[in-house]
Amino acid sequence: MKIIKDKVAKLSFVALLITMTAAMFYAPTASAHGEKSQAAFMRMRTIHWFDLNWSKEEVPVNETMTISGKFLVFAGWPETVDKPEVSFLNIGIPGPVFIRAGSWIGGQLVPRSVSLELGEVYEFKVLLKARRPGDWHVHSMMNVQGGGPIIGPGKWVTITGSMSEFVNPVTTLTGQTINLETYALDNVYFWHAVWFAIAFAWLLFWIKRPLFVPRHIAVSTGKADSLISAGDKKVGMLFAVGTMVIVAASMGATNEKYPVTTPLQAGLLRGMKTYQMPEATVSVKVDDATYRVPGRAMQMTLTITNNGDSAVRLGEFNTAGVRFLDPAVHEDETAYPDDLLAEEGLTVSDNSPLAPGETRTVEVTASDAAWEVYRLADLIYDPDSRFAGLLFFWDENGNRQLVTVDAPLIPTFI
Amino acid sequence: MSASQSAVRSRAEAVQVSRTFDWMILFTLFTAVLGGYHIHYMLTGGDWDFWTDWKDRRLWVTVAPIVSITFPAAVQACLWWRYRLPIGATLSVVALMVGEWINRYMNFWGWTYFPVNICFPSNLLPGAIVLDVILMLGNSMTLTAVLGGLAYGLLFYPGNWPVIAPLHVPVEYNGMMMTLADLQGYHYVRTGTPEYIRMVEKGTLRTFGKDVAPVSAFFSGFVSIIIYFLWHFFGRWFAKTDFIADDAS
Ligand SMILES: [Cu+2]
Repeated sequence: MKIIKDKVAKLSFVALLITMTAAMFYAPTASAHGEKSQAAFMRMRTIHWFDLNWSKEEVPVNETMTISGKFLVFAGWPETVDKPEVSFLNIGIPGPVFIRAGSWIGGQLVPRSVSLELGEVYEFKVLLKARRPGDWHVHSMMNVQGGGPIIGPGKWVTITGSMSEFVNPVTTLTGQTINLETYALDNVYFWHAVWFAIAFAWLLFWIKRPLFVPRHIAVSTGKADSLISAGDKKVGMLFAVGTMVIVAASMGATNEKYPVTTPLQAGLLRGMKTYQMPEATVSVKVDDATYRVPGRAMQMTLTITNNGDSAVRLGEFNTAGVRFLDPAVHEDETAYPDDLLAEEGLTVSDNSPLAPGETRTVEVTASDAAWEVYRLADLIYDPDSRFAGLLFFWDENGNRQLVTVDAPLIPTFI
Repeated sequence: MSASQSAVRSRAEAVQVSRTFDWMILFTLFTAVLGGYHIHYMLTGGDWDFWTDWKDRRLWVTVAPIVSITFPAAVQACLWWRYRLPIGATLSVVALMVGEWINRYMNFWGWTYFPVNICFPSNLLPGAIVLDVILMLGNSMTLTAVLGGLAYGLLFYPGNWPVIAPLHVPVEYNGMMMTLADLQGYHYVRTGTPEYIRMVEKGTLRTFGKDVAPVSAFFSGFVSIIIYFLWHFFGRWFAKTDFIADDAS
C-alpha cells in the first residue's frame, strides 16, 4: 500500500514538473489587442488606413467576409522606423479564428512580402473565411521589417456555428481535392508513432536492467567492459541498421507516392500597383497646432487655398484610424466602428464653401474621447512631438480630395 | 558499499532500493532534459521547427541537426562514461519530442487552434538511435562525433521526408504556384510571424542546383561533428564528481 502511495506521489510530482515546464513553453500570441499600446506616432505617421469596410458583422463558420479599403504610406515616415521596403499585409486577429483565404494589394495576390513606396496610396482587400466561433476584434495590419506590426482600426465581428464543421478544401496541381484542415494528419501521427515505438524499444532494452548504482560500481571498479555483452552489440547493430533501412525505405515509398513535390516558395513582390487619388486642388498650410490636455481636443490653425474650380468644404480629419467628421459636410455610411468615429467631432470656425481661388484661415478643432481612449494624446510625450493625419475635402459635386498634414504639436495643460 | 549496507538489511532489499533509485534518477533526468533541451531548441531552432512552411531544403535541414545534437552529446557523455548506458541521445530526443508534442498539442492546437498538421515537431529520432549505437559499438567519443555527427545530419531530412512530403505537393492559388505548406502558412494567420521573417530557401549553396537538400545535409553533418565534440565535453564536465568530496573510492 505504501509503495503504491509513494508511486502515486512520485508520479504526480513528475506530472507537475512536466506541466510547469509545458507552461513555460512558447505559446503563439493569443490576443491581437496591441493597438492602444503602440506608440502614437507609429499609428499617426506610418500607414494611414481609410475607406475601410468590414463586409459583415456576423459570419457563420465556413462563410467569408472581406476587409477592404485603402492605405496611404505616409511621406513623412518617421526616421526612427525602417522604411516599408519589406512589408507584409497581415490581419490582426487572435490566432487563426478566420483563415486568410486571400489578400490583395492593387488587385495582386500578396501571400508574400511587398515593397511599398512612401507617399503612395494602395488599395487592399483581405478575404477571410470564418473558422472559430466567438466575438473577435478584426484589425487591418501591416508588418514592416525593422518597424514591427502597424495595427490599423479594428472592428468586432461575431462568428457563429461550430468549429467542428469547418472545412478547408483545396485542389492540388496533381488533381486531388483535400481538406487542408486535417490533411496528412494521420500520416504525421503514424510516422511519429513508429519512431517513438522504435526509440522506446531501444530505451526499454536498457532500462529494464539494473541501472545506475550497480553500473556505476562496475565502471568505477574497472569492470566497464563487462556491462556491454556481445548480445547487446548485436541488438544495437539491429537497431542501427533497422533505422537506416526504415529511413531509406520510407523515403523511397514516399517519393513513389508523391512524385510531384516542389520546394517552399518565397520572395519579395515589387512594383505594387498604386491607387491614384484625384489630384488635390486644395492646399493646406498648418499655422500652428495645439493639443488641449483637459479638453481632449486638438486645435489647428489652417490656411486653406482652393486652386480648383469648385467650392470645397472640410468634412473629415482622420488620424490613426480615428475619424473626426463635420456632419454638415460628410456622414459615415459604412458602419465604421463607434469607438473610432467622432461623428460630430470636427468643428471648423468657418466651414462655408471655400470658393475657387479663395484663401481662408480657419480654426479647426478635433475633439473626442478617442484621443484618450486610443492614447493618441501620448504623442505629446514622444521624442519628436509631431502629429499627422488626413484631411478630406468635398466639392459641390460631392467629389472628395485628400490632403495630408504633418506639423509640430504643442500641448497645453490649462 | 558501506553506506548501503547500513541502510538496508538484506541483498533483496538493496536491489529493491537500487531499482527505486533508478526510476527516480530516470524520471528526474528525463524531466530536466525535457525542460532544458526544449527551451534550448525553441530558442535556437524555433520557427523552423514550429511551422511546416519553414521546413525547407536549406536552412531547416542545416539548422535543426546542428542545434539539436547538443543535449544528446552531453547526456551521452554522462550516461556512457559513468554508467556504460548507450541511451543518452535517444533519451534526450524522446524527452524533447514528448515536450514538443505536449506544447504543440496543448498550446498551438488546444489554446490557439493551429491545426496539428501545420505545427507538428520535426523527427529527430533516427539520428539519435544511430548516435547511441555508434557510441556503444565504438566506445569512442571521436568516432561517435565524426561518424555519429555526420549520420545525425544526414538522417534528418530523409527521416522527416515521409511526414512533410505530402505538404510539398504544389497547388495553384489565385494564379500563384505554392506548396500546401506555404498555403497553410498563408491561411492560418500568424499575427506575430509575418512572411518576411520566414527564412526559407536562402543561403549560399545555390551553385549545387536542384540537389540542395543533400548538400545542406552534408554541411549540417559536418557542423554537427564540431557541436558534438563541444557538447560532449560539456557533458563530461557536468558529470564530474569532483564537486562531491571523498568520491575517489
Ligand atoms: Cu483589437
